[in-house]
Amino acid sequence: MKKNLLARSILVLVVLGVALILSYPPKKIPLGLDLQGGMHLVFQVATNDAINVYTDQSIGRLKQLLSQKKITVKSLSKGELGHIKIQGYSPDDEGKIDSLLGEYLKDWDTSVTSTTASATLKPEAARTIRTETVDQAMETIRNRVDQFGVNEPTIQRQGGLEGQQIVVELPGMRDFEKAMTLIKTTALLEWKLVQAGPAADEATLLKNFGGQVPEDMEVLRGDSKRTEGGYYLLSRVAGITGQDLSSVHLDRDERDNPAVGFELKPDGSKRFAQLTGENVGRQVAIILDKKVQSSPVVQNQIMDRGIITGGLRGFGLEEVRDLIIILKSGALPASIGIIENRTIGPSLGADSIHRGLIAIIGSLIITMIFLVFYYRWAGVNALAALILNMIILFGTLGALVMLKIPVSLSLPGIAGIILGIGMSVDANVLIFERIREELRAGRSVLSSISFGFTRALSAIVDSNVTTVIAAFFLLGGTGAVKGYAVTLIISIGASMFTAVFVSHLIFDLTIPRRRKVEKLSI
Amino acid sequence: MLQVFKETKIPFLKYKYVAFIFSFSIIIAGLVNMIFFNGLKMGVDFSGGTLIRVQFNEPISIGNLRDRLSPINLSESRIQEVGQEKREYIIRATQSKAKLRGQNVNEMEAAELMGNRVIEALRTDQDRSAIGNGLQDLNSLDDKSLTFLLEPVLLDKAAGMARQIVDFRVRQGIVRNWDELKAAGVGQDALARLKERCYLSSLAVLSKETVGPVAGEYLWRKAEVAILYALLGMLVYMAVRFKLSYGVSGLLTLVHDVLFTLAVFSFTRREINMPVIAGFLTLVGYSINDTIVIFDRIRDNLKILRKMDFQELMNLSINQTLGRTLITGGTTILSLVILFLFGGEVINDFVWVLLVGIIIGTYSSIFQSCPYLFFWWKIFKPKKGMRK
Repeated sequence: MKKNLLARSILVLVVLGVALILSYPPKKIPLGLDLQGGMHLVFQVATNDAINVYTDQSIGRLKQLLSQKKITVKSLSKGELGHIKIQGYSPDDEGKIDSLLGEYLKDWDTSVTSTTASATLKPEAARTIRTETVDQAMETIRNRVDQFGVNEPTIQRQGGLEGQQIVVELPGMRDFEKAMTLIKTTALLEWKLVQAGPAADEATLLKNFGGQVPEDMEVLRGDSKRTEGGYYLLSRVAGITGQDLSSVHLDRDERDNPAVGFELKPDGSKRFAQLTGENVGRQVAIILDKKVQSSPVVQNQIMDRGIITGGLRGFGLEEVRDLIIILKSGALPASIGIIENRTIGPSLGADSIHRGLIAIIGSLIITMIFLVFYYRWAGVNALAALILNMIILFGTLGALVMLKIPVSLSLPGIAGIILGIGMSVDANVLIFERIREELRAGRSVLSSISFGFTRALSAIVDSNVTTVIAAFFLLGGTGAVKGYAVTLIISIGASMFTAVFVSHLIFDLTIPRRRKVEKLSI
Repeated sequence: MLQVFKETKIPFLKYKYVAFIFSFSIIIAGLVNMIFFNGLKMGVDFSGGTLIRVQFNEPISIGNLRDRLSPINLSESRIQEVGQEKREYIIRATQSKAKLRGQNVNEMEAAELMGNRVIEALRTDQDRSAIGNGLQDLNSLDDKSLTFLLEPVLLDKAAGMARQIVDFRVRQGIVRNWDELKAAGVGQDALARLKERCYLSSLAVLSKETVGPVAGEYLWRKAEVAILYALLGMLVYMAVRFKLSYGVSGLLTLVHDVLFTLAVFSFTRREINMPVIAGFLTLVGYSINDTIVIFDRIRDNLKILRKMDFQELMNLSINQTLGRTLITGGTTILSLVILFLFGGEVINDFVWVLLVGIIIGTYSSIFQSCPYLFFWWKIFKPKKGMRK
């Protein structure tokens, strides 16, 4: 039974060496959010926004085409989500409209009768729009998060390839409010001509318009932080938007308050020149996420650069810095809502680390005392296997980190390690109890050891595999739970190796070969 | 050879009916409690809501906390004191979807907004007036902002001082008064600057978890799938490695363990959260271990002792593995007790499930799994016996 002692020893030493190298330095294994503090956020992307935008664009194009082809329709409107309705045309135009829709609304299912025509966005087209919107949102969020200076943030889609949720993990993030604002701001920046206002209420605002909002205008309120919060009547179509910016930087206004300076792309600058040139002496509102920030009076034509000031109250320096980060990363393609937020402060994390360490060390010590007390020298053997087990565990974690597979050590992960210790001891207990039985049955020491190991093997393998099966289905869980499954699975794998292979080797190495052995310390 | 358990000859299967009555009465009591008395409390992870852990600078009573929460109609929230000194609390607030709709808030973000309302409501008037005066909360500034604040007076030493203050705060949880900072080594100039720009809030939010209804449903679906697949996976594995009869008996034992633990769980004030589900899965994995060790022995003995009565053989197998069962159970339970006592509030529910579950699992592998297997054998009377 003592074959290949040398080869087996070398194998164990190699494993030990590799694990030691991989686990060094231990600090490289990142701590989970619950231990170092940070944020775990899940956002839901309002992809309906994007469908609406696409519908609006399609309606815009249709309007153009209809007027080009000289077809008059009374109404061309957005129905419920993803529907367009065309009404009030002469029955003679039915054919023309049918062929027009067929040619230009490729993404839509259309149906035309002599009085009404309708188009419904095809499900697969809607799906593509939703998926792309989430992709874009993820990209924008990634750009913003990169500015936080957080170590290894993760941004992931949740709920499969077409999931509309985005998970953002920011380990070590300390300024929670700032992170939230920077990620969540849609940052839809628009410049629109002010038709009337600001006014304290809508009635005053619309006095000159017969109390009705004209079709090509809209009413927005001023941002309460920047303006007096009144109502503005604005042109519906934006002169320029955030997409027309080529760069933004920190600047100052005439009163030396911080402001956002911007430069425009050639196309945007043409439109801005037109807007400002035609409207000298009128107000142009700067709107962020549907809230008017300021409405400066145009002094003269502006070509390709300008500044955004913080209205009456002015911006703080931090606010301008944040706004620049947001504008640089571009607008989110749709609004996002926070549906899950787990924010852990650093002091709770520090407390958890402290407690986790006490628990690990405590359970290791208790286990060790028990093993040596109950199994004597064989217990020392099991102890060696246990220590090797821990080294392999951290080596594997280190290897996973090197392979850029996201793992981290969370508090449940520590619980996984402790349970892993228990499982590894269990394997030893199974073997030792079996050896004792064989000894009691009157076998010699050497054959008892050999029988003990072989007979306990099936129980060890079967029981460990079932635990791995249970842990496997936790791998799909959220951060902390996943960390638990990872450490538990690695521990079990390592304990199978150490208990079965290493303990056996130690027995073989320590028990003299030729001399007849009378007693075994077990 | 030190041996706690001498070779025992306990006729375990004799007590099978006692064990059945014991288990089933507890399970039924648990089910009644769960179904009719709403005994099973869903935690924030699944029901949606907000869980806030907060530390105050002064001791405060639970009654006082409820008073502060009553203007926002959340005085019925669950409030649990943690740590000593009545300064640290976990507050859990949920509201039904209908109520949320009534408040006319954005439903998707309802939980998040509720969490923010709770924190606002907990602040004192002093905090509010300080915020109104444009002062920043020293207890929530990060070191970058602190450095920025201190730079005018400390120049290049600002970053070091900021680090020092943040470290002190991380250790203490909250800075209670300016003298504490002075004692921690913050100089006169820096202190004056901080007093001018900051205030010391009466509370620090240690952690905040909010889960909206959408996310809650998603997490619950995931948990269900995980448990279902884990049970199926084990059934299949055992059926392949042993026989179907063993697999089914093992599965029944697991169902017993889960129901038993749930029953005990329902009589505590604890709530089902994601870590608790992880605890249940682990207990399932652990309990099947125990069962397998015994089944494995039965399988072995069936090969050797061909003539022995099946019930006798089961008793023998249980007795032969009893030492292992109790030693492993004992060491694991010891480790868990340490985790339970020192592991802290965050994983307390999880450890509780494991602790109770493993005790139940150890019991059931002896008193449930073998009787199930025995009855299978009685009912189906396989021609080749239980031998593989």
